[in-house]
Amino acid sequence: MSEAAGLPAGHHHTAPTGFIRKYIFSVDHKVIGLQYYGLALLAVFIGMALSWLMRLHLGWANLAIPGLEKLSATGAPGNIMTPEYYLSLMTMHGTIMVFFVLTTAPFAGFGNYFLPIQVGAADMAFPRMNMMSFWVTFVAFAVMMSAFFVPGGPPLSGWTAYAPLSDVGQTAGPGQGWGQTMWAISIAIFCVGQLLGSINFIATTLDLRTRGMSLIRLPLSTWAWFITSVIGLMAFAVLLPACILLILDRVAGTSFFLPSGLVFNDQMLTHSGGSPLLWQHLFWFFGHPEVYIAILPAIGIVSHILPAFLRKPPLGPRVLVGCMVAIGFLSYMVWGHHMFVSGMNPFSAILFSVPTLVITIPATIATLLWIGSVYGSRMKFTTAALFCLGFISVFTTGGLSGFFLAQPTIDVYLHATYFVVAHFHFVMAVAAIFGIFAGTYFWMPKMVGRMMNETLGKIHFWITFVGVYCIFMPMHYIGLAGNIRRYAAFTDNFLIPLIPVHKFITIAALITGAAQFIFLFNLIHTRFWGPKAADNPWGATSLEWSTTSPPPFDNFGGKQLVVHQEAYLYGVQGAAQDFVMQTAPEVVKSS
Amino acid sequence: MSELELSAHSGHAGLMEESPYGIPSGKLAMWCFVLSDAVTFGAVLFAYGYLRIGSPDWSTPFSFTPSILNGLVMTFVLLTSGLTMLAAVEAAKAGRTAAGTRWLWATCALGALFAALHLLEWRRMFEEGWRLFQNPTGGSVEFGAAFFSITGLHLLHVIGGVVALATIAIGFARQKYNRIDVEVLGIYWHFVDLVWMFVFPLVYLMNAK
Amino acid sequence: MTVEDSPHVPGMKFFVAVWIGLMCIVGVEVIVTFQHPSPRVLLASLLFLAFVEAAVAVFYFMHLKFERAALAWSALPLFVFVMFMMDQIWPDAFRLLSMRLLSQ
Repeated sequence: MSEAAGLPAGHHHTAPTGFIRKYIFSVDHKVIGLQYYGLALLAVFIGMALSWLMRLHLGWANLAIPGLEKLSATGAPGNIMTPEYYLSLMTMHGTIMVFFVLTTAPFAGFGNYFLPIQVGAADMAFPRMNMMSFWVTFVAFAVMMSAFFVPGGPPLSGWTAYAPLSDVGQTAGPGQGWGQTMWAISIAIFCVGQLLGSINFIATTLDLRTRGMSLIRLPLSTWAWFITSVIGLMAFAVLLPACILLILDRVAGTSFFLPSGLVFNDQMLTHSGGSPLLWQHLFWFFGHPEVYIAILPAIGIVSHILPAFLRKPPLGPRVLVGCMVAIGFLSYMVWGHHMFVSGMNPFSAILFSVPTLVITIPATIATLLWIGSVYGSRMKFTTAALFCLGFISVFTTGGLSGFFLAQPTIDVYLHATYFVVAHFHFVMAVAAIFGIFAGTYFWMPKMVGRMMNETLGKIHFWITFVGVYCIFMPMHYIGLAGNIRRYAAFTDNFLIPLIPVHKFITIAALITGAAQFIFLFNLIHTRFWGPKAADNPWGATSLEWSTTSPPPFDNFGGKQLVVHQEAYLYGVQGAAQDFVMQTAPEVVKSS
Repeated sequence: MSELELSAHSGHAGLMEESPYGIPSGKLAMWCFVLSDAVTFGAVLFAYGYLRIGSPDWSTPFSFTPSILNGLVMTFVLLTSGLTMLAAVEAAKAGRTAAGTRWLWATCALGALFAALHLLEWRRMFEEGWRLFQNPTGGSVEFGAAFFSITGLHLLHVIGGVVALATIAIGFARQKYNRIDVEVLGIYWHFVDLVWMFVFPLVYLMNAK
Repeated sequence: MTVEDSPHVPGMKFFVAVWIGLMCIVGVEVIVTFQHPSPRVLLASLLFLAFVEAAVAVFYFMHLKFERAALAWSALPLFVFVMFMMDQIWPDAFRLLSMRLLSQ
């Protein structure tokens, strides 16, 4: 039957047979979610390896890194990284991490797996379109990876790809020919995949909720995925034409982002009429909502997991949803805070700075709600719980530095220093990743039917938690001292004294990175040899815990669940256990 | 009520929560897509406006004949295709498959006519020396860039719509697609028309001699 | 009313009238253009007329008027908000004029 009608109630789809239909071209949202997760896992280790190469070069300039010449003969002759290649590795690090890890794992990965289950549906509203979204994203990843191997290597203009550097083509430097074009094509394809995914999430959340699952009763993670997809629907809609215009400038001779009078390598370019600032406007109009797309699912996941280990309902869940909506709404108003020093109209700076400061309010309220939830609880310190607490810590730390950057007067000094690097790594690289870790430790039993090793998990947590502070906390101070970012080497007099700090950061980064292999080992070991998990090992309330671990192909074994309760009834007096599941029919006295 | 009697969307049968918008998922999905695509076209039009404001040497090369007149004909064709699409949706809703199919083909034909007229216009402009990067009147080269990219993006959507119309027309006749599918396609097709309602004034009329 | 019930939509006569109205608006747009007003006045007039056309297209042709109000109230303010935010780029467009190279 036509898919335009969506999945009907009581619809039974038969389980797929054959390896290809089951694991490769599957329409099962659970398989697709795991495919996205697997893609993100591959991407994060590539991105992390890139960061190690960067950090080694920053700590020990002119270090010969074994094997680097094999990756790029021109980029690392004699295994020593050229400054251009450093910038290329930095560009790919940022791009891979932001797009293929942070936008993929918490949203497309966990969201695909758990959104249908948490609303009580048998699958997403459009399973085949869901499968297409993943493979489109996969193609985008393949095109991005190809940038390493095309003539000239990967681009060096940063994940932000500012014009005119990204726009003029080969003449701008190594990697700016084929590499940049591959980058732009990859991102354009990625936008399409995200758009299709967002449509699916919205339709599923609104249309496929089982009986009794009113919007108020939705878990906080579902709310977060829903709000994220609404944001993404319009944010990626702007990045797509921006990339198309970039590609046109590069291959069709247009001048959207190129003014006249540009001279590269002693040659005046023939372009005229365009504006590099236009690229920045279009890019950041997408770019700012994008960072909230990266963090909101993690906020939802942490808010969802915490109550299970506090054995207490979260404080103010509706306020928290309101905060997420406010953040989504405000995220479209602040993008110019990335452009305070770009030469844009200074008056605009005020228009952008005020909402940026305002957006700290819902973020702060959310943080206070988490802290308020933890207060007075008897916490069960599982690994997932530890990562949730760690999330609160790093989100706060990263958010605090944002207060400073929000103000143009301070930002004029701090822009393009390591202070900014510290800020966004704390909120994105650390906080969002902690959300992914928390989700993994919490949901792995459900996804693969086996428990992860708690000891290894705790070791992973503590090394990572201490490690990220060792890596990123010093960056605030060297940033304040004037350490400019995106430099391949520190040769100025005021930067040389900071090199020992860089060495420390590098060592911390290597150790923390190594600890991630504990996580990887835990994942693999669990998948094949972990102890079997019960249906509800954590005593949690939401619908994913009402089904088997792992769930059957149609999530609930043909049953249509009926929801009677809100999402976080923990610590209930007089209940048989100290929690009431969403499907339980008993009347719960509100305390 | 047995499961066999359940229709696709009867949330009221009690098994599911009702959608807040009361429309089939396919329609909601198309509205989401339209919203997103509208932002995309909005961004491109904003970029055009941005560059135009910043260009003191902007050209306004379109005289009434042939450019504006051609644009008017194209507008007429597209608007009429919107009307035939409505007829198709109405016929489909009333269960008149043959009539619905005919109206779908009429819409498809009008869409194809629009595309053909557009390509002919492009060819005429190429012959005059216009390119994405070239302005034969000596004014800003951004004119060609903006004109061809905006109309090109729109044309891609028209061609995609024409293909979809043909696909749905064939499938609807064979009852592979139902009236909801026709309605969903209708939303897309009207959106393509909607974009033209901005492109024609902003890109053609604003550049009239 | 179930989701299955299609919204009550007027017949084709109504839509033909709407179509005639739209063609008239297009006609007005062309007439205004060839009065050769200043670019500012022309832009304002054309934008106004385009928005009227668009509203007619969205509410009538796309049947948004005949759906539940919630759909229009969700989609339209969201879209208007996003576009309104993008208006913040105009100050830089005007500055662009004064920041160009003097000689070419």
